[in-house]
Amino acid sequence: MRAKLLRFTPMALITLAIAAGPLFIDDRYLLKVLTFVAINVVIVTGMALLFGYAGQISMGHAAFYGIGAYASGYATTTLGLPWIVGLFAAIVFSAVGGVLLALPSLRLKGHYLAMATLGFGELMKIAFIEAQPITGGPDGLGGIPYPRIGSFEMAAPVGTYLLAWGIAGLVLLLVRNVVTQRPGRAMRALHGSELGAMACGIDIVGLKVRVFTVSAVLAGIAGSLYAHLVGFVSPSTFSLHLSVILIAMAVVGGSGSLAGPAIAATLLTLVPFADAIIPGLSRDALALIQDWEADVYGLIIILVMLFAPGGVSGFMRRRRAVARDAS
Amino acid sequence: MGGSELLQFVISGLKNGSIYALVSLGFTIVYASTGVINFAQGEFYMLGGMFSVWVFATFGLPLPLAALLGILLTAAVGVVFELLAIRPRKDGDQLALIIITVGGSLLLSSLARHFFGPDELALPAFTAGPSVRLFGAAIERQTLWIWGLTLVAVVLLNWVYNKTKLGRAMRACAIDRDAARLVGIDTRMVVTVSFALAAALGGLAGLSVAPLTQTAFDVGARVGVKGFAAAILGGLGNPIAAVAGGLMLGLIESMSIAYLSSTYKDAVSLGVLLLVLFVRPQGLFTRSRKEKV
Repeated sequence: MRAKLLRFTPMALITLAIAAGPLFIDDRYLLKVLTFVAINVVIVTGMALLFGYAGQISMGHAAFYGIGAYASGYATTTLGLPWIVGLFAAIVFSAVGGVLLALPSLRLKGHYLAMATLGFGELMKIAFIEAQPITGGPDGLGGIPYPRIGSFEMAAPVGTYLLAWGIAGLVLLLVRNVVTQRPGRAMRALHGSELGAMACGIDIVGLKVRVFTVSAVLAGIAGSLYAHLVGFVSPSTFSLHLSVILIAMAVVGGSGSLAGPAIAATLLTLVPFADAIIPGLSRDALALIQDWEADVYGLIIILVMLFAPGGVSGFMRRRRAVARDAS
Repeated sequence: MGGSELLQFVISGLKNGSIYALVSLGFTIVYASTGVINFAQGEFYMLGGMFSVWVFATFGLPLPLAALLGILLTAAVGVVFELLAIRPRKDGDQLALIIITVGGSLLLSSLARHFFGPDELALPAFTAGPSVRLFGAAIERQTLWIWGLTLVAVVLLNWVYNKTKLGRAMRACAIDRDAARLVGIDTRMVVTVSFALAAALGGLAGLSVAPLTQTAFDVGARVGVKGFAAAILGGLGNPIAAVAGGLMLGLIESMSIAYLSSTYKDAVSLGVLLLVLFVRPQGLFTRSRKEKV
């Protein structure tokens, strides 16, 4: 009982702190940045499931993020449907995209999936630009309203903050339940050895398709949140660059954990918005950070894969092991 | 469409196809020695063009010398990348190596932006003068250079592969790395050399096309995807098939411009990539092999 209490106390405290955030943060900019963090936690949780548990890599998750954003944006602006329908459309379309890509490509080995997802991502980017009647073409789609249920509007920054973190919390909880149960064990077996997992009677193709689809849906949900937070979506957002940054977050987070990637997503998302958390950061310093952001991400990916393959979660595991030995 | 117009599209297709063939050879060489797709291959293409322009403009060297230095500098980057980022990961875990090359691609392109600047750059044509006429179609002189240089590169590579000790070591590595090590082949050296060769070929492609299409720090990824599409079209790991795949992809793209619209040029080659991956991942010219435990 006490052990259980001890395990859940930090979680409860973090949840409470995040939920109470708007009470003591009155900086609108910071709240918006923290909303972006929540959105990235949602999408990276899907990446963590795919990379950290199933050992697969996607270089096209920006496309699912875009599908979610455009589906939600189109439904709520051009079609004038309520927000919840937009979110539902984002889920459906990203799921369909995920299944369509996963079914043929997951028969293939790692680098083929990576290239297939990369090709799919680039193809979707062309589609976002060319499907002008739906996406608004290169100029983008604007005027997307804040999320609203009936007459209750969740406006930025507080409403969207609470909504995004609420969804992020729910997603983390659900995915945690998945990975601690039977599918999670199957995924870890898959990560260890595909042939071994197959020999244990695990339907590896079915499992991979399901994991990939779930991660695509999470990206779609994140895309919908993004569209309603910013109010405007354009094709340049959903680039290969974004997909690689998402990989960086998952890699830095480490495999076999959800907390690690969530922490990594938080830290890496805050880098280009360093001025929100470091008061008095000069404009020049911020410009310097943003200028070298991509270089640093690239370097971090390489360094983590070479010298700290466990990432943040590996570090936390080691800390916990040390604490256990000490007590 | 008239015959001469069609010929014009074929010429343009074979021009782009030669570029894809060179990039695709880079993928194939690294894949043969490591079993990994090098996602940074497109950046070598970018660096070849950028280094040549930089050497040419900064030091005022004659163009052939600038081009040669461009290739050598790109090859040097390939070697440094292998030594610093690939070799230290000794277990050769494929997922890890793929991710490292993804990071390398991001790092190389953004470093290039800092070093060469964000603007588009161009190299002058290798030989000035009007286009050559052929049955009513025009062939730019630079296109002749691209074909000639591609041919020289392929012949040289073929010679290295088939006639030299190094080539024998590389072929042995491609068949079975552990067995190659057992018979005393320095497999680590082979990996380094294959990165140098892949970078040199990518660099050659980038600098020979730089006079026709401008080059910039962010051109690598797109050409990388096309080069990979070409490699997979032919069948990974086979140099001749890689060249054939490159030329085919160039022609397919060109025909899609001729009969559809230039808007869908990139979409068509991405479609070819996905189609081949889904339907025949072992490529058109290679037989499939079952995975063994």
